[in-house]
Amino acid sequence: MSRLHDMGGRFGDGSIPVPRNNDNEVTNCEPTFKYEWHAKAWAITLAAGALGEWNLDISRHYRECLPPKDYINFSYYEKWLAALTNLLIDKKLVSLDELKEYVSAAKNGTLTKFSDKDIKLDHRTWLAKDVQKTLGWGGPSIRDTNVNPVFDIGDKVITQNYSPNKDVSGGHTRLPKYAMGRVGVIHSYNNNHVFPDKNAHGFGENPLPLYTVEFKSSELWGESAESQNDSILLDLWEPYLKLLPN
Amino acid sequence: MSEKKNIIDDHHSHDHAHSHLPSDPELRVKAVETLLLNKGLIDSKTLDELIDTYENRIGPKNGAKVVAKAWVDPEYKKRLLNDATSAIRELSYQGRQGENMVVVENTPKTHNVIVCTLCSCYPWPVLGIPPTWYKSDEYRSRTVREPRKVLLEFGLSLDPKVQIKVWDSTAEIRYLVLPMRPKGTENMNESELSELVTRNSMIGTGLPKEIK
Repeated sequence: MSRLHDMGGRFGDGSIPVPRNNDNEVTNCEPTFKYEWHAKAWAITLAAGALGEWNLDISRHYRECLPPKDYINFSYYEKWLAALTNLLIDKKLVSLDELKEYVSAAKNGTLTKFSDKDIKLDHRTWLAKDVQKTLGWGGPSIRDTNVNPVFDIGDKVITQNYSPNKDVSGGHTRLPKYAMGRVGVIHSYNNNHVFPDKNAHGFGENPLPLYTVEFKSSELWGESAESQNDSILLDLWEPYLKLLPN
Repeated sequence: MSEKKNIIDDHHSHDHAHSHLPSDPELRVKAVETLLLNKGLIDSKTLDELIDTYENRIGPKNGAKVVAKAWVDPEYKKRLLNDATSAIRELSYQGRQGENMVVVENTPKTHNVIVCTLCSCYPWPVLGIPPTWYKSDEYRSRTVREPRKVLLEFGLSLDPKVQIKVWDSTAEIRYLVLPMRPKGTENMNESELSELVTRNSMIGTGLPKEIK
């Protein structure tokens, strides 16, 4: 019904890896990237994404679709790199033979043999001079549409109680399983946003109303909730929700 | 069938291209990076510019300036809580992973905490790249179920009467916590105040620094 990335509420995880200084105090200081290869994995993922062959939802879904054994064993940036590699092959930006050639050279320490290669930049390639402009622009997901929201603030709603992606079995969705089949209240309406359940599969953007929905802690965790007073708020698209009588 | 071309077929997951990569992650990145560079699909100067931007220019100091301004300027605070994206843009912070910002205010009665259980959504323009703990399985799995225990591990003990609101960033809205201004800071200016604003206080896993 779900995948490993959907881990909210899961049992078994230990202490948060909170960094501490020499006096054992919690510190906010740690390098942006712990290793150079973290920075590189992150940067090549952004740069390859800028080629325009896939959207944010597709890249998220590729990370989610890593085989469970890999998802568990890979560190954060290893997941990014593995998903990127699969995307590069599936979108035919590189061939499997090319990948194998470079992998084998990397293993033999002979990657430098490619370095005298004449590089001709692809017309889609993201140039350094455009980086600040593109970052500043970002990738807004709000769309101007004439779709009006069905729910009002304060409405009582129930979330779907099964995997909500109607088009694809095991398809991408942003309704976490810990909040499936639960009753909440519409806290706010946040305009119409690209619908990931469609967009992650190349079915178009299908912008739909997005709401912030508030759930009482006790509704999600029952009597074992830490405090009956606390609440959890999620940003959910309209198709995830059904109106209940108030 | 053609419209389903983007779907990964799980039955073939053992054939995923990534399984051909070397076991050493450093070599893995080097192989893919060199391949993309040689094919002209990425440019090394772009990679340098990206890394330099988030290592040196975009980070929690941006968010701290937003918070400090809200502490000293009630009109700005009103705009920030009403339309955070525009108010944050007034300070020239905008763009990637901060396209739709929402600021949530801590009060004596309510404490806000931000998490992304499904991945690692985080407001880049004001906080930069998320720290390791924010991306960890432990934080992602436990914060929605037992926020009080999680906060204790950060050294933060909240009164049981204070309501905790946990915001799970499941869409493209990015959250920033507006922490409460510490006591005894009445004579401090905006720039001095921003030095008190820690990254964790803007995620909700910490408080601003106290005046000693």
